[in-house]
Amino acid sequence: MKKYISAKASIILIASTLTFSFIQCKKDFVDPTRATEAQVLSNSKGLTGIAVGLQRVHTLGRGSSLYNLVTINGLLTNELFVVNSGNTSEVQLASGGTAVDGNHTMLTTFWTSNNKVIYDANLVIDNAKSLSDQSYASGLIAYASIFKALSIGNLSQFWEKVPAGIGTGITFIDRIEGFKQAIATLNAAQSAIGTNPISATFTSSIPAGIDIPNTINALKARFYLYSGQLPEALAAANLVDVTKKSTFNFDALSLNPLFEVATSTNNVVQPKDSTLGLVANLAPATNDPRVAFYTSINASILPRFRINGFGSAAATAFPVYLPGEINLIKAEVYARQNDTTNGKLWLNNVITKTTDPFNVFANQPAITSVGSQANLLEQIYRHRCIELFMSGQKLEDMRRFGRPTSERKRNLMPYPLRERDNNSNTPADPTF
Amino acid sequence: MLTIKHCFLRSSMTMMVLLFIVSSTFAQQLIKGIVSDKDGLGVPGATVQIKNHNLATITNLDGSFQINSSLASGNYVLSISGISYKTLEKSFVLDNNSVQTEINVTMEDDITGLDEVIVTGNLAGTTRKQLGSFISTVKGDQLTRGATGNVLGALQGKTPGAQIIQNNGDPGGGFSVRLRGISSISSSSEPLYIVDGIIINNATNRVTNTSSNYDGSTFVGTIGQNRLADINPADIDHIEVLNGAAAAAIYGSRANAGVIQIFTKRGAAGAPVVSFNTSAIFSSLRKSVPVNHSPTKFGGPADGPGAVTQDILLPALTTTTPVTRYDYNDYIFRPAMGTDNNVSVSGGNDKTKYFASASYMKNEGIIKNTDSRRYGFRVNLDQTITSKLNFNLGLNYTNSLSNEKPDGNSFFSPMNSINIIGNIHDLWTRDALGNIKAIGERGRVNPVSIIEDIKQNQQTNRIITGGGLKFRPIQGLSLDYSFGIDNYGQVGQTFIPPFAYNVSDGFFGGGAALDPTRNGYASTATNNFFQINQDVSATYQFNINQDLFSTSQVGYSGQYEKNTYSLLQGRGMAPFVQTVNGASTLLQGVDDRSELSVSGYFAQQSLKYKSLLNLTGAVRVDGSSVFGPDQRNQKYYKASASYLISEHAFWKGSSLSKIINFAKLRVAYGQSGNLTGIGAYSRFNAYSSNSFLSRTALLSSGTLANTNVKPERQNELEFGVELGFLNDRINLVTNIYNKKVSDLLINRFIAPTTGFSSLLDNFGSLENKGYEVMLTAQPVRSKNLTWSLTGIYNHNRNKAVKIGQALTLLSTNQGAPVAIIEGQPIGVFYGAFFARDASGNLVKNASGYPQGERGIQTSALVYSITRDGSGVPVQSNPLIRKIIGDPNPDYTASIVSELSWKKLNFRVQLDAVQGAEVFNADWRTRQGVGNGLEAEKEQTGVYPRGYINSFYGTVEEWRIDDGSFVKLREVSLGYNFGNLGKVRDIGLTLSGRNLISWDNYKGYDPEVNAGGQSTILRGIDFGSVPIPKTFSVALSAKF
Repeated sequence: MKKYISAKASIILIASTLTFSFIQCKKDFVDPTRATEAQVLSNSKGLTGIAVGLQRVHTLGRGSSLYNLVTINGLLTNELFVVNSGNTSEVQLASGGTAVDGNHTMLTTFWTSNNKVIYDANLVIDNAKSLSDQSYASGLIAYASIFKALSIGNLSQFWEKVPAGIGTGITFIDRIEGFKQAIATLNAAQSAIGTNPISATFTSSIPAGIDIPNTINALKARFYLYSGQLPEALAAANLVDVTKKSTFNFDALSLNPLFEVATSTNNVVQPKDSTLGLVANLAPATNDPRVAFYTSINASILPRFRINGFGSAAATAFPVYLPGEINLIKAEVYARQNDTTNGKLWLNNVITKTTDPFNVFANQPAITSVGSQANLLEQIYRHRCIELFMSGQKLEDMRRFGRPTSERKRNLMPYPLRERDNNSNTPADPTF
Repeated sequence: MLTIKHCFLRSSMTMMVLLFIVSSTFAQQLIKGIVSDKDGLGVPGATVQIKNHNLATITNLDGSFQINSSLASGNYVLSISGISYKTLEKSFVLDNNSVQTEINVTMEDDITGLDEVIVTGNLAGTTRKQLGSFISTVKGDQLTRGATGNVLGALQGKTPGAQIIQNNGDPGGGFSVRLRGISSISSSSEPLYIVDGIIINNATNRVTNTSSNYDGSTFVGTIGQNRLADINPADIDHIEVLNGAAAAAIYGSRANAGVIQIFTKRGAAGAPVVSFNTSAIFSSLRKSVPVNHSPTKFGGPADGPGAVTQDILLPALTTTTPVTRYDYNDYIFRPAMGTDNNVSVSGGNDKTKYFASASYMKNEGIIKNTDSRRYGFRVNLDQTITSKLNFNLGLNYTNSLSNEKPDGNSFFSPMNSINIIGNIHDLWTRDALGNIKAIGERGRVNPVSIIEDIKQNQQTNRIITGGGLKFRPIQGLSLDYSFGIDNYGQVGQTFIPPFAYNVSDGFFGGGAALDPTRNGYASTATNNFFQINQDVSATYQFNINQDLFSTSQVGYSGQYEKNTYSLLQGRGMAPFVQTVNGASTLLQGVDDRSELSVSGYFAQQSLKYKSLLNLTGAVRVDGSSVFGPDQRNQKYYKASASYLISEHAFWKGSSLSKIINFAKLRVAYGQSGNLTGIGAYSRFNAYSSNSFLSRTALLSSGTLANTNVKPERQNELEFGVELGFLNDRINLVTNIYNKKVSDLLINRFIAPTTGFSSLLDNFGSLENKGYEVMLTAQPVRSKNLTWSLTGIYNHNRNKAVKIGQALTLLSTNQGAPVAIIEGQPIGVFYGAFFARDASGNLVKNASGYPQGERGIQTSALVYSITRDGSGVPVQSNPLIRKIIGDPNPDYTASIVSELSWKKLNFRVQLDAVQGAEVFNADWRTRQGVGNGLEAEKEQTGVYPRGYINSFYGTVEEWRIDDGSFVKLREVSLGYNFGNLGKVRDIGLTLSGRNLISWDNYKGYDPEVNAGGQSTILRGIDFGSVPIPKTFSVALSAKF
């Protein structure tokens, strides 16, 4: 019996050997459609690709930081209204207060895309340093730094505390420290291009539109102002050449996000009306050409006021900053330093403008007497709101100029639950 | 690829060696006879085998068989088994001195199917009686009487433990199958499909509905047609359904969500038989939805200057304008016709048998200008080379084509184009140039453009071919080799001509200015899929002693698949040119390529003690290219046992056996892994590229992957009891199972400050607990009249366990707040709900508006309600959320009653899905845009002005609808006219499908899903075409 079984066992063994003679098939396949992190970070073309990707994430589509900056800010500050109440997220912003909570989709997207840009910008800035062509590297650093600074700035404009960096369990710093971080990033970029001027090869490798040196100074001026460093703000503003344009460009393939989502559909958001969302005593003059620049009128189909300006068409370029902003920064710095003479001078510079690289000009009579410092500041606020309509800066302005909270839907944003649920360092939500 | 070729070279060489071994012949003795049924008619296709020896054949059409034996003289047992007959064993004496041995047998009907030979999970085959785990069988003739040309449609309600849902009523619409709930979160939960040993692909590929404009960046699910649509039900002999992981070592890791094995018809020896079947199909909309009949709307006119639409959502409008109301359902739907034709020839001799078939099916959709058609050819060949060597070959070619309209997830689909507009526009007016006009002021697409102008079609050419060799070198040993190739090319084309009126950019319009660079769209997409699987196994069966019988198996299986997908698209179309080269703006194309391979070894040992006890144990080692090199030696164990108490002598002799003639207990445990649970390259962290402003942008993924993720592991424990009562008049099969998936692959949200939105890793687990009951009875069983009843009841409870995140709320295209919540079923609807008073009525504020409940939410499911003095929610607190609906049913059930009287056959099938909720997005939209009955109430003053708008955007509960239904799924009446000259079995069958639904659903049909075949998105009604009611008249005959 035993022998019999062992004969059977040897048959099983032979059969097994036959079967197992089939070798294991290949299992290491390479993805031909993507490039690995190691490949892209060690190569100037790869780093350029990531840097261009920063601009794409920042500006393209409904999920972009640019679209969310303009609409979140616009809805919170009465610039815009929601055309179709089926747009839940937009409706919540327009209601404000507790309707905006940690689940808010647009705020979550805005938070996520800004952090994503900071993450990838850090990779570009760190890895560019090891490239042999330093004038190419400086371009990469400066270009990536602009998006990093804009992203940190975006977070600091909407949240009370901002992440101290990128990583797991990241801690939070005060938003004013956030602006300072953005400034530090821009200063480092400025020093890089100061040492090694950007090569023409680099400039031709990125999309046209952004004037890097002027943008760095303009953003420095903005963030110095927002962090209360007035002399530095003035110094930086003075370095900006206001005859130059610096823009996020779009074309028939990569559409202006405001046009794509809102203007073309007439189903998401539109400007409230010709007051541009300002209270009666601050509303623009009826003959102010900036109203017609920023809004168009549709006499036959509602709503009457439509997005114009920098969301008017599919390929309309969006300014990174406006010359008017730079001059208004100067006016504000002087006014805050109680130099009403120079404050009035720079305010009038904006009010009386009849030409502008972007055609944003007020063509209004000059203010002859400004009265008190407070009055001057109020006029500066008013013209910032008009000049910089739908640029995403108004909520910051409202807080800085001490506007009553009744004029806005929320002061500072709740932290997205995706952050809170996964990072115990997330600060408590502000009440308003 | 080189290695792959190498693989095949090795395997074919091995087979040649095997062939060479086939050598000497022995003294032969002919064993012949006839197998007949109780009426004396020959039984074709029955398996006749000399027990414990590798000598077997299949009976011819007249029931005759012949076996050339080389056995020594002695005592043997002949075992005869056939589908629908009880297995019969007959002892005989073989005397090699006589010329031949003749054995004639009469088979008894097998009502219970206990003697069916099941090959799923065991290559050597085992009877249902012996099985240690549950496998159900559905016969081919049950699939062809239900007025459907889709295999999965035909399978609805016929197998326990399966929830089969038709997700869309388009003629080429997708089906999803869930065996015992879902078995993954990240990947498909569709079972593994095998046709004649060939693993076939059931993917849903989007070659149409390709642009991201259909769903933006949100989660849309798995929409479109799944490729099982290419299989013709008329070719099917029977289907075996394996619900769990417990049984099948041989399918191993890919059987994570169960196995559906399809066996097509094969030839039988005898004169060629030509079978012919033709049918005419008539479909129509089963139930429409009521529309608004209010004579006025708020605000200005519907169209033209000053047009205001969606007045319900603009509560500031208080003036009214008279309007004409329309019912657009009358425009987009139509009665549809179709035809299904099959012809087959089968025959052969004792060595060669063949089955060949050709089919043509065409079916119109109930949406105008949609249809699908399918051509199919099949040849199955079985050849005996020597008494020890057989081979078989199968070849199936299919050409499927469907003319579609855009998927419901877009607002330029037929359903959603009429859902998103008020019924106040005269769609058909034309301007002086003959162009149709804009709808209102919002840039919506006129439904007339969709029905008449938008063209979308897809076509698939598919070859499924496979073959196998069976070699029995010595007694008891069988070596099997089989391979299968599934190869298809799928092409989809879309053409949206430029609109002559204002259509939003998002719907491929050119806006009010008819921007020529944006107006119109064309795309062409191709998907090429190639898969090869090969299996080698050795089975050795022998008697250890008189009472103990052993079956040992070892095997290897390997699969390789390659998929390439490309998309060419553009917008801003030139007039009349329908192809992408007519586009003025080329949009980003897609060029996707992937390869993957899975392979594994297994060893399985079964022991059978008398006819009482069966034990099986197996181990399998699997690896997949999808997972990292460290994860390619996954071991999975399985074991099962069955105990046939009624086979004991004491039982057989007792009076109990008169009542309970059959009793069996079984238990099975099995592990398996989801080896294709993530994409071919999902574990790599890499940068993808996109064109941006004429430069290349590289983008890091939003998902960070753990590069060393491992496959999900499933553990399933199943107990079963099978009982036969009153000599099998009544049979009961019950299963209770606990299926747990651990190391769940979840793309989980992480803090965005890490630089990523989500992390793909193994987290937590998923549980499906449930039971299945199948009761069959034959209350009447006489010569002329039989009445049989089958009832199936399925109960499954699904929940997420320790997924590490209290709440994951998905952002879906349909707006459905689909959530994965700790301890709750996957895919529940989570959102804000109405405040109600003690008696359940809506709490309203001073304006008469219902209120969303408000308060303090402390966790996903814990909150406290805050109400003011008058019982109205405190407005300064936020809305709170809870689970507002669950698309997973409490139970599903079906009842089949079949009555046969002489030559007349009447069959009825009812399917029930109870306790499920549907997220009825469309119903809400119809109120918001003003074409529903709630809108009518506000416009006619039943509700205060602003009523609907007050909670429209905030309270998700308003979109939850009752998804329970009982459907008259199938009804058929057939008559067999008998023979007319040489024409035999002339039959006429009248069938109906989905004729009646008993439900409280507010939409068209609760049984649709806008998420298509998605695992997580279930029970969402958003633009889905309702499932039609269908009648068919079929004529069949044989020559």
